[in-house]
Formats: sequence, C-alpha cells, structure tokens
Amino acid sequence: MPIGNLDVPVIGKNVVIAVLVQTHILFAAFIIGAVLIAATSEYLGMVTKQNNYERFARSLARFVVLLFASGAALAITFVLALVTLFPVFFSILQNVFFWVFLVEAFMFLGQIIIVYAWYNVWDKLAYRKSLHVVFGFIAGFFGLMAMTMIDAVASFMLTPAEVTSEASLVARSFLNQTMVPLNMHRFVGNFSYAGFLIAGWAGWRYLRTTREDDREYYDWMGHFGLLWGFGFLIMQPIIGYGYLKGIRESAPDAFNTIMLGSKAWVFNLLVLWIAVLSIASTAYFVHKLRFAVKPMETLRKLAVGALGFTALFTVLNIIPANANLVPQIGLVFGQGEDTQIPLGSMYPWKYIGLIGLMLTGFFIVALYLRASATGFHWGRASRWSQYALMACAFFVVLTMITMGYTRETARRVDNNPAYLINGCVKLDQQIVKEGCPATPIIEGAGE
Amino acid sequence: MMDLALMLLQQGTTANPAPIGVFRFFAAFVLIVTIYSSFLGFTYWISKDE
Repeated sequence: MPIGNLDVPVIGKNVVIAVLVQTHILFAAFIIGAVLIAATSEYLGMVTKQNNYERFARSLARFVVLLFASGAALAITFVLALVTLFPVFFSILQNVFFWVFLVEAFMFLGQIIIVYAWYNVWDKLAYRKSLHVVFGFIAGFFGLMAMTMIDAVASFMLTPAEVTSEASLVARSFLNQTMVPLNMHRFVGNFSYAGFLIAGWAGWRYLRTTREDDREYYDWMGHFGLLWGFGFLIMQPIIGYGYLKGIRESAPDAFNTIMLGSKAWVFNLLVLWIAVLSIASTAYFVHKLRFAVKPMETLRKLAVGALGFTALFTVLNIIPANANLVPQIGLVFGQGEDTQIPLGSMYPWKYIGLIGLMLTGFFIVALYLRASATGFHWGRASRWSQYALMACAFFVVLTMITMGYTRETARRVDNNPAYLINGCVKLDQQIVKEGCPATPIIEGAGE
Repeated sequence: MMDLALMLLQQGTTANPAPIGVFRFFAAFVLIVTIYSSFLGFTYWISKDE
C-alpha cells in the first residue's frame, strides 16, 4: 500500500468519511436546489412584477454565494481523507471513472464561476433581466451535471457491472443499473430539501421579526418554500420505488439488507421522518387556507379530510414488519423476526400507504394552489404554523442523513467486512472477485 | 472505564452490533449535525448585517 493502512482512533476511518460526505451533501444539495429555486423565483418576479420574488431570489443567491465555501471546503477535505484513508480504493475508482471525475471537476468549476457572476451582475443586468435569469439556470445546470457525475460513481459502488467489451463500456460503468433512478431521486430531492429548509428559515424569521412588512414577506416565503418542499416530496415515493426496484434486480443481497435484514430499521426511521414532514406540511396548508383572500370554506373542509388521510397513510408506512426492531442495540421483542406485526407487511399495506400518501399529497397541493391563485392575507399566520415549518426543516435534514446512511449501509451484505464496491472490493480494500472493474475502462474492456 | 477506553480505540465498523458500533453511529450523527449547523450559523453571522 502506498501510505500504509491508516486508522483514526476513537471514531474509526469509516466515520471520518461518513461525516465529511454527509455534511458536504447537506450543503451541496441545498446549493443546487437553492440556485434553481432562486433562478425560478427571479423569473417569476420578472413575469409577475411582484417584489417578493425578486427580493427572495437575491437574498437566496447571496446566501448561496457565501455558503459555497463551506460546501467546497468539505468536498476537498473529503477527497483528501479518501486518498489518505482508502488509497487503493480511490485508485480503483480513478481507474474506472477518470473521465467522469474530470468532467465533474470542470462542472464544479463552471458552477462556481457562473454562481458568482450571477450574483455579482445582479444590478448591472437589471435592464436585461432575461439574460440574468439565464445565468442562474446555467449555474443550476452545472450543479446538476456535477451531481450526475458523482451519482454515476455512487451508484456504481452499489450496483457495479463487469465491463465485458468496449461496446458495453459506458452502459456497464457510467450507466449502471441504478444510476438513472438515483439521479432522478436526487434531482427531485434537491428541490424538496432546499424548499423545506427555506420554509423553516422563513418560519424562524417570521417569529423573530417585529416589522409588519417583514412579517408579510416571511409569511409569503414560508408558503413559497413549502410549496417546493412538499410539492417535490410527494413525487419521491414513485421515484424511490424505481430506485429500490433497480437495487433489488441488480444487487438483491443489498436490497435484502436494507429492506428485510438487520438494517430494515433505517427504512422505518425514514418513513417516520416523512410522516412528520407530510403531516406538518398538510397541517400548514389547512391553516393557511383560513387566510385566503376569497374565503374557501369547502376547500378548507376537504383539506381537513386530506390531513386525516395523510395521518392514516403515514401510520401504515411506519408499522414495522416484525418485532426484530433494531437488533444492533438489542431492541427485539417476542420471537424477533418470527413475530409478525399486523398491518406491517410490505404488500399490500406499505404500498397502500405510499400510494395513498402521494395521491393525498397531490390532492392537498392542488387545493392549496387553487386557493393561492386568489391570494392570501400575508402576515397573519399563527405561531404554530411557523413551528410546523421549522419542524419540516429539522426533519428534512434527518431524512437526508438517514437516506445517505441507508444507501451506504446497503453494501454491508455479509458485514465481514462490508463492501466498498458491492461484490468486488471489501472495506479492507481487497479485491475479492475475478473480473471486477479495477483497470482503466478503455484498457480494461474485455479483460 | 479502562475497558471502555480500550474498546473505543480498537478498530471496528459502524455495523458491528457491539457498543463500539453504536457509539460510532451516534458520534457520526453528532459530528454531522454540529459541523452542519455551525457552518450554517457562521454563514448567517457573516451575512446578517448586509
């Protein structure tokens, strides 16, 4: 080994990588989502001439510019940690994905340049607004492309395929089986995550501010953020299903680990967070409908019914399949896996829960958008509605962390030790299978 | 106490169903939340007077 097999005392080297990557992703996902939301908001401000959109877009762009350094610093630290702690594994990844990493680096560079330029020329291009909006969307595009490149690597680690010919080179490495669903999942997730965080921030500022115009603005911002957050969240069950289907077909052991095996509890945690997000968002919408400029009592009653259904469906999702709750810490009841819990099985109950949650979500968003068309009286929201927004921001962070952990822990198939590249490279950086893609993809094709 | 200290200094994985695995799981979580919130707080602090 080039620099020896280093370890980190107390927390171990796996935790070092996990902490750096998870924290980086919390910034990176926010930046990609926020840039696109801000650019869209700027465009809406240009079209509707409503000042809130422009004020929001500019504030968010400034925050993204300032936040960029934190996200980038964590990314560099992570790469340094990976090279130091997992040098063999990193060289394998470089061999397979040299061009992908190179493209990612340039996409990252492009994103930095355009985001800074976009914010910096805000006043200069005040009379060429269309051009300025395009700057924002291009910055978002670069961010999405950088994400796409790293998604190819991350999905390959879970569902790698042997490159058997030069013709199948791209299809079997870059476009591995879970690359597209993972990318879609993260594309939608960026908007949802950034939207919930924006809504939570607006809720906090709404409660703190003493100026009437600021109260109105932050009330509007909470509403706008939550529309992005919840609107995109309700698309996730179907995209997530597609992603899990890809994992089940190409890495069935990994699927069993996270869905049926000793790590099934991570999905229970995940649906618990989604339950809080869904109920808090729906409750906010129900509350907000009271302040529609044109009173809509029927819509509000329907929304109350939708809140009840949301609660019902989320409960269906939460119920564990058996009493083997968290075996790692001894949280096992009855006969463990042999003790089945009523209404806890995947089929049909979880499917009913997830589909029901999506349909109810679309229903309530449609009702809310219908009311939004006539406008709301801003600045009159209750404290509790703002607490709901802040709860959404907190729980969406937990959701992100839990999902990241779930994807990575799926490779702990036999846990002896786990895999870095599923079925190919173990956590101790040993290649354990013939034909694993460790050579450069051009040279290695067919070997 | 000495046993705990020795255990914390040993190599292991987060998925190991032993106290060290559980400790590392929560240590990672606390570190992520701490770094994330302090960077966010710092960014807000440097931007709030504009």
